[in-house]
Amino acid sequence: MMTNDTIDRDAGETLGAVARLLHHAAIRAWARADAEGPRSPMHLMGLGIYIAFCQAVAMLPADDYLDGHSPIQDDVVQLLTSAEKLTRSIPVSDETAGISALAVAICDLVREATP
Amino acid sequence: MNARDERSVGELLLDADFTTRQVLMDATGEDAQAMLRTWGEVVQSASELWATLPRPAGGTSPIDGATMARLETISQSMHRDQVRRGWPGDGPADERLLHVAETFTRVAGLIDRRGAHIGATDPAVRADLDAARMRIMHTLYVGAHSVGVAAQQHVADVEVSTRGKSDRESRAVPRGQDAINRLAAFEQLAGAYVGNRFARAAGGEHVHGPNGAERLQQALIGWDIQAHRTLAATPTAANLLLASRTQAGIATAAVAILHAGARTGHVDTNAYQHRLAPTLDATQQAWTDVASRWAEMTSPDSRTDVDLVQAAGELRAAVREVAHDKTTWARPDVMAGRVDLGEAAQHLQQALSTAVDIASVIRDVAAQDTSLTGPARAMNHRANADIDRTADRGHRGKDVVWVTPGDVYANRTVTLPEPVRAGLVDATDTLVQTASNAMSAAACLDRVAQDGPSGSGPEPTAPRSHRREGPTPMAQDVTRVARP
Repeated sequence: MMTNDTIDRDAGETLGAVARLLHHAAIRAWARADAEGPRSPMHLMGLGIYIAFCQAVAMLPADDYLDGHSPIQDDVVQLLTSAEKLTRSIPVSDETAGISALAVAICDLVREATP
Repeated sequence: MNARDERSVGELLLDADFTTRQVLMDATGEDAQAMLRTWGEVVQSASELWATLPRPAGGTSPIDGATMARLETISQSMHRDQVRRGWPGDGPADERLLHVAETFTRVAGLIDRRGAHIGATDPAVRADLDAARMRIMHTLYVGAHSVGVAAQQHVADVEVSTRGKSDRESRAVPRGQDAINRLAAFEQLAGAYVGNRFARAAGGEHVHGPNGAERLQQALIGWDIQAHRTLAATPTAANLLLASRTQAGIATAAVAILHAGARTGHVDTNAYQHRLAPTLDATQQAWTDVASRWAEMTSPDSRTDVDLVQAAGELRAAVREVAHDKTTWARPDVMAGRVDLGEAAQHLQQALSTAVDIASVIRDVAAQDTSLTGPARAMNHRANADIDRTADRGHRGKDVVWVTPGDVYANRTVTLPEPVRAGLVDATDTLVQTASNAMSAAACLDRVAQDGPSGSGPEPTAPRSHRREGPTPMAQDVTRVARP
């Protein structure tokens, strides 16, 4: 599996927090989808968020960056918005290659999730 | 220029970046024309800013200047095309993108006035310059994506509103499509500079490929191939989770698209209502159930195969292009305006066939892979739940400790407890059966729809029952099918 061993500690911790927010948002979206039933469009929203989570994890070193408290928010849009805001402090560099695509993915998800 | 604005070059560049992100989050089809009018200005000011950045004494990589030059060429070509076609024509600019262009110009002015002394041989200065170039290119990447999103939405809106009307009235469609293609090329170039190795998974970035039903077909085939490859090579819980959730998504999307097909006369209404929808709901629930079990076996830092992530991302993007409208499903007539729903139904029919094989692969992993593990707490919880479930069916088990208190306390990774594996095997057996039922029901999609348009089809409302459905009368006892 791909890992990124060149990312610096600060960026890694921020990215870890982004990943936790995305993971929680995917879980919340799927919980809502399950409650709504098999035809809920939230199934694909959850999938999209989970895909973004996988992208974020793939950018992290094989380390403990994903340890930490679960987010307290439960609203999917709020979780995504928080994740996007956190990505703003991650530098765009060779070491964080993929952050631009991740930022775009999260912005797309915010737009898709906002009625 | 605002003389009181004392922000640094870095702060101004962040402002431009954050503005394009906001544009992307808010983009709608109504913004497309103003955004297209303004985009050239953004690129031109970025190019001028790029030219003012001091060049390192040792020279830069040839790709640095070449990429910006190519982006400017694409933008100029878009502008010439807009002038020739008279579209989007005169009108208001997009204020947010105008702000980005003005910010780039302000940065260029700052560097011009104060940057003459910058010693580009200093490593720290070189790092700052590299960071500035990256941020500019990143902003163009995000900006191009946002203009492309708005243009795509605009084209989709025009396609619906001008259906059946003259070429003159629908001419915004080909004009918009040209702009979308150029913006996609732009986005790909800028993305390569900032190293978007995950771009295809990101937003379903899709450059110069087919659209509509053909894209859906390619995405379904690509997903099938990649899922088989990944699950054969690395059948980890993380990969099995994404595979199962994506398959659940395919089943959900299939109901929405086939419902639209039934409502618009592309799919037999009776077959949809009485055979397809119930079996697809059942297989969707079975995929979701299995996915939940794999999710319990992952740890927070479990890695998912990047190729699988990309294939899932492209599939989701292809489905959205056909079936979604913001947070909900598009109306049947809107979907019918986007793609040939009969063709889409046939692609889904093939995907529902290959789903049986993916389900069988997953069942084999569940039954045979002795290396499966999971976090002790989740495994303990699941073991107790599965024991209770079998006890409810009259099979009370012995009082056995499946996970030690020490493992639970430390939440160590443990081998799959026997009740958990038994439950997983049960769930995957059900999955194979329901997937086979859905495949059998979907066999009717091989034929061209017989019914005319009908307004009496059921709404795609969500049944709330999570009861697992048994085999339907037309179910075949298919345990494994050959891959096509």
